[in-house]
Amino acid sequence: MLGFSAALVQAYFQVVPPVAYGVCMVCHPRDLFNWLADHLLHISWDYSIASTNWPLLTAVGVVLGAWVAARQHGEARARPARQRLSFFIYGFLMINFGLVLGSCPIRIVLLTAYGNILGLVGLLAVIVGVVLGTLALRWNARRAATRGATA
Amino acid sequence: MTAALATLILGFIIGYLGQRSRLCFVSGYRDMLLTRDGNLLKGVVGGFCGALAGFVLFYFTGGNLPEFPALLRTPDLDSARAWITTIVSGLGVGFVGVLAGGCPFRMHVLAAEGRRTYWFYLLGLYLGLIFFNLVTDRFFGG
Repeated sequence: MLGFSAALVQAYFQVVPPVAYGVCMVCHPRDLFNWLADHLLHISWDYSIASTNWPLLTAVGVVLGAWVAARQHGEARARPARQRLSFFIYGFLMINFGLVLGSCPIRIVLLTAYGNILGLVGLLAVIVGVVLGTLALRWNARRAATRGATA
Repeated sequence: MTAALATLILGFIIGYLGQRSRLCFVSGYRDMLLTRDGNLLKGVVGGFCGALAGFVLFYFTGGNLPEFPALLRTPDLDSARAWITTIVSGLGVGFVGVLAGGCPFRMHVLAAEGRRTYWFYLLGLYLGLIFFNLVTDRFFGG
């Protein structure tokens, strides 16, 4: 449904160029943020041609949709923050890596479906990155377990 | 206006469904590796198949799909810089995604549920955007 709708908004609802841009959770927030910076503060940061006149509102829609779903099913409640600095850094790194890549893990799949060869290379790189991250987590967990056993 | 409304509506729908299904484009690969649980990976494969079906269908119905299928017409295909930045940043996205526990889509959904941990993730994401505009884009931007 997600992929098909992403293709639909490109084909018939002007979410283009760039191509395969129906859903992207780093580029669309960038477009919205930079569009607002441009129109409210006159700071000329880049945003896509698709959001020249009006910003792309995917991030706003996702947050609203998820909030409504969570409210309807009794899952929306404030939970305290943990590891604030770590998660701040993860977000900081994610947007920078994502915008250099030009896509989030969703759009890289859309680009691959579009037949973009660099998209496929990026998707494979993301998967290898996930493998490396998983190995790092496992290594860290093992190290913590060994420390716990010797203490 | 059309694009803004379309993305708002699409965002609302995938946000709603993403909250119910726990869809995540990083955890899908991670769960498969860690626990051999392919449930979330089905969402990723479904996303790819849906997009491919949509692109092919709308190509034949006259939708706005410039240069589809891209294949050898992919922009910057002969640029070594594009290959290197794609590979390095792709590795970074995957690695950081696993450490954070999900893709940016999933993080937005979790933040909307009221989990304050992910509010800090989004704070980092949007402040990181300013850093990207001021610094990273000058060195690695397209």
